[in-house]
Amino acid sequence: MAEAAPAAPAKPAFDPKAACPDIRRRLWASKTKGTLLEGRLWPSDLWPHPWISESYRRGAFVLGAIAIGAIALAVGLGEIGAPLAALHEFYRQWAQARLPEAPAWSVEAVWILVKAIVVLHIILINGLFLVWWERKISAHIQSRLGPIFVGGWHGWLQTVADGLKLLIKEDAAPAQKDSWLYRIAPALAFAPVLLCFAPVPFGRDLEAANIDVGIVYVFACSGVSVLGIVLAGWASANKYSLLGGLRSAAQLVSYELPRAFSIVPMVALAGSLSLTKIVQAQEGYWMGFFPKWFFFYPIVGQISFVIFLIASVAETNRTPFDIPEAESELVAGFHTEYSGMKFALFFLTEYAYVFLAAALIATFFFGGGAAPTPLLSVIPSWFWFLSKTLFFVFCFLWFRWTFPRFRIDRLMDFTWKFLLPWSFVNIIFSIPYIFL
Amino acid sequence: MTDLKTDTMFVNMGPQHPSTHGVLRLGLTLSGEIIVKAEPDIGYLHRGTEKLAELRGYHQCVVMTDRWDYVSAMPNNLVFCLAAEKLMNLEISSRANYLRVLMCEINRIASHLLFLGTYGIDIGAYTPFLYAFREREMVLDLFEMACGARTTFNYIRIGGVSADLPQGWTEKCREFLNYFKGKIREYDDLLTYNPIFLDRTKTVGILSKETALDWGLTGPNLRGSGVPYDVRKTDPYCVYDKLDFDVCVGETGSCWDRYHVRVLEMTQSIRIVEQCLGQLPAGDVMAKGVAKIPKPPAGEAYAHVEASRGDLGIYLVADGSSAPYRLHARAPSYINLAVLQEILTGLKLADVIAILGSTDIVLGEVDR
Amino acid sequence: MNGYFRSIYDGFAGTFKGLRVTLRHLVLPSITVNYPLAKLKPYERFRGMLLFDPATCIGCNLCIKACPSDCIDLENMKTPEGKKIAKTQWYSIDFGKCNFCKLCEEVCPTKPKSVWHSLDYEHVFFSRHEMVRAWKQGDPWVGTYWDPKEKVYVIPEFQIPIEEVPSRR
Repeated sequence: MAEAAPAAPAKPAFDPKAACPDIRRRLWASKTKGTLLEGRLWPSDLWPHPWISESYRRGAFVLGAIAIGAIALAVGLGEIGAPLAALHEFYRQWAQARLPEAPAWSVEAVWILVKAIVVLHIILINGLFLVWWERKISAHIQSRLGPIFVGGWHGWLQTVADGLKLLIKEDAAPAQKDSWLYRIAPALAFAPVLLCFAPVPFGRDLEAANIDVGIVYVFACSGVSVLGIVLAGWASANKYSLLGGLRSAAQLVSYELPRAFSIVPMVALAGSLSLTKIVQAQEGYWMGFFPKWFFFYPIVGQISFVIFLIASVAETNRTPFDIPEAESELVAGFHTEYSGMKFALFFLTEYAYVFLAAALIATFFFGGGAAPTPLLSVIPSWFWFLSKTLFFVFCFLWFRWTFPRFRIDRLMDFTWKFLLPWSFVNIIFSIPYIFL
Repeated sequence: MTDLKTDTMFVNMGPQHPSTHGVLRLGLTLSGEIIVKAEPDIGYLHRGTEKLAELRGYHQCVVMTDRWDYVSAMPNNLVFCLAAEKLMNLEISSRANYLRVLMCEINRIASHLLFLGTYGIDIGAYTPFLYAFREREMVLDLFEMACGARTTFNYIRIGGVSADLPQGWTEKCREFLNYFKGKIREYDDLLTYNPIFLDRTKTVGILSKETALDWGLTGPNLRGSGVPYDVRKTDPYCVYDKLDFDVCVGETGSCWDRYHVRVLEMTQSIRIVEQCLGQLPAGDVMAKGVAKIPKPPAGEAYAHVEASRGDLGIYLVADGSSAPYRLHARAPSYINLAVLQEILTGLKLADVIAILGSTDIVLGEVDR
Repeated sequence: MNGYFRSIYDGFAGTFKGLRVTLRHLVLPSITVNYPLAKLKPYERFRGMLLFDPATCIGCNLCIKACPSDCIDLENMKTPEGKKIAKTQWYSIDFGKCNFCKLCEEVCPTKPKSVWHSLDYEHVFFSRHEMVRAWKQGDPWVGTYWDPKEKVYVIPEFQIPIEEVPSRR
């Protein structure tokens, strides 16, 4: 009892880590380190002389380098249609030698499976790329930078990170949903787009399946996706979703018609419903340098192109025709109640359809893999096809970030009273070409 | 008696809806996509500022007025100060008057820019929003330079303004005006005359002159219907009688007219700001002898100004103490909102957004 | 008939005008700032986080009277006899209530100002308790806040270093 109470320990020196054990705070601390910019750069300072900006010059240089590098790579690789056919032949002989008792259809089935897997991966990678690209394009159109951190160079891994997030996200669903339909709807929307890619010729001799009625097949398959969207709207037990789903049904069915009729002249000119045949019909050059693409057939080609382009934008549910998911009216439309991987499937479907639509435009009107002049034929056909497709994908993105949205009844007027009549008129215009 | 029975659907639009501009709730009864009945429901942002003002000094009330129409707070500051100055019989220096007009007008540009951007989003175009905000950012930079805040300014004070313009402000302002003139043409190309935009707005939400006057609309909503009522012309305050500008009116009173009146008003504001910058006299910006805690004599005063959203009035009753006895604000957004229930009926769901956006309400002012 | 073709032409022409605008912006440089990596310095008059300097404060209570939202509180230091002197015992600012209106800074009679708006605009709080910044005897001049979980006063760290951006008038 004699001893006095121990003296209070000396106050320790301030330690930020001990003071702030919270991980969030430490993360914030690591992020808030930055340079302090003196003075603000207004657009009126920067835009009259954009080239004074060092990052702007560097960006232009990098983009140019990427383009030249891609062309060089393509020329180095050359045509890949013939080597793949040789590989197929080699595989068949190898399989017959190894398994002589296996029936021929089973050997072929394995090869088709491989092709399907390749196409699936094209769709998935295309989805990842397009989302990133759309975000960058939209950002730069709007004087922003867009994703910039993930992956180091301009956020090129951003969509991979987003995809991972969607994968591990809790799958929240409304309690009153129609459980079975709710689950099947995203798959029903996604599966057809996979089938649609089968007859698309990605270059010379580079299609998964040469179907004689390829066009009908593509349109038939893509029509099934509507079902997924309508079911998603219905099964979500949400009024906004329901409206979105019903709008989508009306819109997509209506725009199928002008879309199909607008390419009747092309089918008539090529004399075939096969996509490969249509590409073949556009080979060759007038006067040795001007490509015989259907787009350059006076009047008919241009009208067809415009109608097909507009109808394609509508078919892919993108602005100015994004009525089903009209954000400002219907919150998110048919996918309001979807989250996680189910939402990702709808997302993938949209971008796969964008890619498909652009590929079809390139095929029908711009000669598929044909080079614009004979001189440029050294660059392989698949590269031409890809660049044409990506150009039209860019157009889709460009439209989206420029235009307002139609109203549903005006949208219907537009297709039934403008596009459809003009596509019929266009068929009449094409008669002289067919008999010439 | 066994007809096919259809039923209407009730949709709660808001308060957590992307395009109800804050916390407005619209109870919509739909038949398919057609509106049968629309009931605006307000009060989600009510803060009771009129009551709070009765407990605070006059200087402190100015801070509160910032929070009504937070998109364009300068006219709110101004109207309160005008009312309080009427009570106190204060003489405002000429420079302070010019600065008040200057600030109110560039605030009008900022406010209309926000309207333009959000209206683009309502109609479905995202890019004009970012463009409008890019330009708005420059206006906010000007405000930050002059008074230190970007939205809630507390710049116009009883007796003048809180601070004179800093060095180099007028040059920056002129730079902005020159840049902004070109941008209005860009908005015309991108949004105003876009065929889809015209299609969505030109024939929608038509408010006749009579309806607009009956419901007591003011500001661009009234002028969009073709009534040239503008407080700056009919009851000039500050130095508006010395400035040359036009009152822009629309033709039919459609959504597009209300939108276009605002675009035209931005060009008029540019004119006014340029004149103010040219005529800006030298002198003090604060009247002498304004008490730290003012106690105006008992009495009442009403002042109104043309705020960005219409005729903003303040009725102020003083009882000789340091706090107002009663403060009442005639908020233009609140009155403009009321007309919705009449014009929405019979339209499509998508038109609700177009019309609601075109009335350009700020819920902070509606609910106060 | 003529009007019909005219309307079609106008529709497409109007459409292309918009496309031209967006395409031009696509190739113009971006104007945004990569926020956490690069920060804008506010202008000289910017009204950021309030700071308080106990060394100059005379405890006159004018800021408390000026504040429209009662966010400032202080207690004068007292002599052993219980008489108030012109020094503060403690001083607290509740940023949950603060209006950033500059009225307190304007009425402050000392030179330089004892309470003033710094240029710090990164108001980041992870709890309501952090919003109440208080200075008391022995604290560093930026003050502390009470952490109810750890039952200690914590020094706010990881704000923008105010030494770098002073704005004391």
